[in-house]
Amino acid sequence: MTDRKRIAIVPCSGIGKTYGTVSREAAYEVTEDTRPAETQLVPLSLLVLGDEEARAAVADSLAVTIDGCKLACATKMVKESGGTVAQDFAVLDVYRRYKQFKPQGIAELNEGGQNLARALADEIAAVVDDLGTKHSDDARGSVEVQDA
Amino acid sequence: MPEYLETTVDKFTFKVATDRFYTHEGVWVLPDADRVRVGLSDFLQQRSGDIAFAEVKPAGTEVAIGDEVAAIETIKVNVALGSPVNGTVIEVNPDMEIRPEAINQDPYGAGWLAVIEATDWETDRAQLLDPQAYFVVMKAEAEEEAKKL
Repeated sequence: MTDRKRIAIVPCSGIGKTYGTVSREAAYEVTEDTRPAETQLVPLSLLVLGDEEARAAVADSLAVTIDGCKLACATKMVKESGGTVAQDFAVLDVYRRYKQFKPQGIAELNEGGQNLARALADEIAAVVDDLGTKHSDDARGSVEVQDA
Repeated sequence: MPEYLETTVDKFTFKVATDRFYTHEGVWVLPDADRVRVGLSDFLQQRSGDIAFAEVKPAGTEVAIGDEVAAIETIKVNVALGSPVNGTVIEVNPDMEIRPEAINQDPYGAGWLAVIEATDWETDRAQLLDPQAYFVVMKAEAEEEAKKL
């Protein structure tokens, strides 16, 4: 089930790719553990398939995308689905900020990969909080919502 | 602007700049008197993947042919790049610290790695491939890689 009021988190669907796994682990952490009330996971695969519920979830709320490579499939699909990308993350860029967390592994990430996913999840959570604040202010009419 | 030899293998297009020399491994060498600028060929950067980090030996480092002059970490692999000449590193591309993706974006230009002062460029040059020879080597490797896809 989707909730149109919650921010859509759309991670890379790259199966068999370390950076794809990092993106999904970060998305799970945000949507299931740290910000479950404010966010919802929208699988990229459903957007690709044209699933109506998934398309509605991104079309009617802001989205945070997490791309595993420069093809940026998550960001492109959200836009093609009529959604608004409030913030897009690239795992490679995040890794450059946390060089000590070298990700390895596919089905199971190594410790570095798990730490990188947590760091990414923290950054996403901060964006979610920021967007929530802007929305609240916007609802009160005191602050204009701006494109991220 | 250099001219290029170009080939398309599967869905990938690879360029070889014709104004420089190459090692078999895909390190290009652009001479200017006894100083040579070095970097990664288009094929080597594409095969290696998106670059996360590039660490180049600092200025003042003496290198012999084959000694590691730079190490790159990509989303796929770690690659140690051997020096194509004997000499001393005299300049390092400062962009490698802050935007190593320049290697992916402009491998024959802004993505250069270092300048090495060669101790005997004429002798070292004899061990390098000219663009046409490297193009043949590169194309064969690219076609071999394509078979694995």
